[in-house]
Amino acid sequence: MTAAKAFQKLGSLAVPLTLVVVLLAIAAVRSPNLFTPSGIGNGILVAAPLFFATMALTPIVMSGRGAVDLSIGPLIGFLNVTLITWLSARGITHPVLFIGWALFAGALWQVLLALIVIYVRIAPIIVSLSGYLVLSGVNLMIMSRPGGVAPDWLMNWGAASAAQVISPIFLLALVAFVAWVAITRTGFHRQLRMVGSDERMAYTAGINVDLVRLIAFAIGGMFAGLAALSYTALIASGDPTQGSTYTLQAVTALVLGGASLSGGRGGAIGAALGAVNMFLINYLLGTFNFGSLSGYVTQMAFGAILACSLLVNLFTSPSASKA
Amino acid sequence: MDKTADTTLSPGRSAAGIRVQRSLAIGAGLLAVLAVAGAVLVPGFVSMQNARSILLLASFLGIASLGQTLCALLGALDLSIPFVIGSANILLPSLLVSGLPPAVAIALILLLGALVGAVNGLMSFRIQGQALIMSLAVGFAVVGATQIYTTLGSIYAGTVFATIPDWLRNLAAFNGTTLGIPMPPVILIWAILAAVVILAMHRTWFGRGIYALGGSRVAAARLQISERKLWVAVHAISGVASVSAGMLLLGFSGGGFVGVGDPYLFTTVAAVVIGGTSLLGGAGGYGATVLGVLVLTVLTSILVGLGLSFASQQAVVGLLIIPMVAIYARAPHIRNQI
Repeated sequence: MTAAKAFQKLGSLAVPLTLVVVLLAIAAVRSPNLFTPSGIGNGILVAAPLFFATMALTPIVMSGRGAVDLSIGPLIGFLNVTLITWLSARGITHPVLFIGWALFAGALWQVLLALIVIYVRIAPIIVSLSGYLVLSGVNLMIMSRPGGVAPDWLMNWGAASAAQVISPIFLLALVAFVAWVAITRTGFHRQLRMVGSDERMAYTAGINVDLVRLIAFAIGGMFAGLAALSYTALIASGDPTQGSTYTLQAVTALVLGGASLSGGRGGAIGAALGAVNMFLINYLLGTFNFGSLSGYVTQMAFGAILACSLLVNLFTSPSASKA
Repeated sequence: MDKTADTTLSPGRSAAGIRVQRSLAIGAGLLAVLAVAGAVLVPGFVSMQNARSILLLASFLGIASLGQTLCALLGALDLSIPFVIGSANILLPSLLVSGLPPAVAIALILLLGALVGAVNGLMSFRIQGQALIMSLAVGFAVVGATQIYTTLGSIYAGTVFATIPDWLRNLAAFNGTTLGIPMPPVILIWAILAAVVILAMHRTWFGRGIYALGGSRVAAARLQISERKLWVAVHAISGVASVSAGMLLLGFSGGGFVGVGDPYLFTTVAAVVIGGTSLLGGAGGYGATVLGVLVLTVLTSILVGLGLSFASQQAVVGLLIIPMVAIYARAPHIRNQI
């Protein structure tokens, strides 16, 4: 009885948490290698861009109006190719400039989208769809094929992460986590949740709805910058097209982490759980030998697990059915 | 009783009517502007050859966008469309290779399409806020399962080869003929389909029900309109439309390739949006989408004619969406929504 109560207290995190435990248990049997320092470090390195991308979506989705940022993938790609061709290739490799550009450009793009949403007043999903197409095109114009090299220090980040648990990428994720926790302690976070759950009520209560939305998008943009940095550390080069795949992955991870696409709900723990779940599913399916079928089996299992977790959410949290 | 109902209904109806007329007029105007621009900018734009290729490509997108339009009218988005198109595109040749007669294979795939769509609708009905993701999940599962099926006992992954029946080839190939006229029959099929759908949306209980539901869930429930039935039916139609597009694309290309549906992930949404159907449900229609499809295809044709790369085409289409939608789908300011 108490176990059931504790489970219910977890709310939207119950399903993703259960899934992580089950997947880790299977992993312990199938591939104990994962639990060595290099296994964990590598896992963090691979899962980090997805975690940051999911974090980037979190405040944007929370702001309501069905705002799922479809342009997040191409944005990561854009930051990746500009870091490589505009900065690294011209000898600008200082970490402060590098990280600064990723955070600044990411936030700038999201602020631009937010301004369109606020002042042109069209549905956020359409704005982000348009952004997806524009950036996908622009990325290929900046860099027509994968290439270039990341600065040495960023490559070292990637290499260090593959060897130990406490690596720069891990610390970066920790910083992002702490930053989010700090945000949840502010009045802004309360206002954001209110705007996301019921915008009209928030407006009549005197909240500056436009400002809240603008800040939420800007925060999302900065997380997108972190996603681009960790992605660049992972591939150690520039790639104009692969970044785009993060759109569907991040939206999926967001839902697997228990957030609601209808706004008002979401957080860093859910995003992390979602990203870890995605990584573990991929990893586990890789340990089975399906031969030429493995890619398809992964895809199918992915769809099935996603559908099941959505349906389970429906039965465990009564509020989800209304969302 | 009837009279009061009539007087209360008519102002709303005419207002909505004007709005639809306006978006249709803007769409038609834009199409005319684009056609003139194409004629001026691109040499050889005004030719039978070019008109035929535009209409042919528009037919595929038009058929694929049918389900997306109906879903949008209910406030849903079906992201399984590209995956279902790709699945049908490789499943048909695979079934033909296994010795099934073409008619049986096609009927089977149409049935599967309806089934996949219905399952998608049934599962997403209770979680409409996340219907988008549910359709994505269904898409992943379907395309994975289909590829597993087609790969078993074959060495090629993702692509399937088979002898396509001549009539299917003729139906959708660039050099196909309709009763001796050098125009692929799929264009005529799309035109008839569009006429039937537009008429059905206005004249049938089903069509009016979709608008009622998209307009107000509560009012529709009072009218005894079953939300679940329409929701599932609309998704099933989307499944059938997607597999049809997938099979027709096989006739167009001549070989099965699972990635053939990929461009349709966002272009179907773009066509619906450019046409003027609201993604929140209730306003718009298939007529608007037909215009959106034509605008998108003519624009792409112009950009190709101007020698723009695929990347720049994508960027231009993306840039066009916001002003297009801003013309007729702006939400009122929040202080006017209270």
